[in-house]
Amino acid sequence: MVSAAITRPTRADYYRALADNLPPQALVVTSLGNASYLWAKLHEAPENFYFEDAMGLALPLALGLSIAQPSRPVIVVEGDGALLMHMGALVTVGAVNPANLTVLIIQNGVHAASGGQALTNAGLDLAQLARASGIASSENIEKPQALADKLRAGTARNGAECLVLATEPDLDVVRPPVALNPVVTKQRFQTAIGAPRYVHALFGGGKLEGG
Amino acid sequence: MSGVLATQADAHRPSDVLNTLKRLGFGAVVSVPDGWLGKILVRIEHEPTMRLVRATHEEEALAIACGIRLGGIRTALLVQNAGVLSMGAGMVSLAQRYQFPLLMLVSYRGTPDDPVFYHVPKGRATEPVLRGIGLNYTVVDRHRPIGPQVEHAATYAEEASCPFALLLSREDIQW
Repeated sequence: MVSAAITRPTRADYYRALADNLPPQALVVTSLGNASYLWAKLHEAPENFYFEDAMGLALPLALGLSIAQPSRPVIVVEGDGALLMHMGALVTVGAVNPANLTVLIIQNGVHAASGGQALTNAGLDLAQLARASGIASSENIEKPQALADKLRAGTARNGAECLVLATEPDLDVVRPPVALNPVVTKQRFQTAIGAPRYVHALFGGGKLEGG
Repeated sequence: MSGVLATQADAHRPSDVLNTLKRLGFGAVVSVPDGWLGKILVRIEHEPTMRLVRATHEEEALAIACGIRLGGIRTALLVQNAGVLSMGAGMVSLAQRYQFPLLMLVSYRGTPDDPVFYHVPKGRATEPVLRGIGLNYTVVDRHRPIGPQVEHAATYAEEASCPFALLLSREDIQW
């Protein structure tokens, strides 16, 4: 008798659930490595902001974005290793607590983007950590369907939400369908959301206009 | 002292900094405080047209500022020079790599004017590190009005699409 190994869902499983249930007008920020490459492969869009590197900074950048764009849902995909690197950002998210921010943590227990090295602590209850940081709506998720249900329900919240996704590590680097040029990523994102642009004035005094 | 210099010396420079930020349409400030920055942050917190975000670490503050600017709000970063030393990776791989225009108002601790001795190592390292990571900066000229210097730094950041740091002395920023 062959016993089936119990494996966690893959990042792709969760990403398909995310792509199929993405809220209207959503802006998506993805962490480095496959977090960005795979999302680009499955759901390339100008409303995506792909991180090239800057490990641990996707969450705080998404927090800033959610402050600047309060009427649009902001979804950030961060890794567990990246979260541990800048755990303070979770506290800041809890303090600001923007209701339009959804934090998805890929908990695969390794530093996947750099080849699968062990984390400092792979077994933390990250949802509990998020709750302790002030994000009341935090939950550990083990099935893509549960993520889909959460996204589809779109329950009104008073603050940010953190969903920790138990995930099988994916160490093979996904080839993104397009070159992820950082400046192009930024500029097309800002164009897509109609962000105000800087209009310069000779000898100073320029301001952001439009949007 | 000439009349002009006397007037400049009498001006309340932190007020000029805040008024310049308001006039230029800065809608957000992200900060990790120090002893010099504490009171101006409270002022900013009470400004109806500005949003203050208090971060736990300067590299995190940098990323929050990038996110707010990405979303279309002009944003300044108020941090101590210790924070500029500790945000190096995020500076080069996020703010500079993606060309985010950010005004950085930095309390320049550890200069000979700073009476707190333990800041000296940071003061000594600050400018060499900024040059090393290619972060554009200038040290405020305390004999000239502060408002135009803030404006020029902000303009530089936008025109060059990069962060720009203005290194401030105590009288520039401590309310």
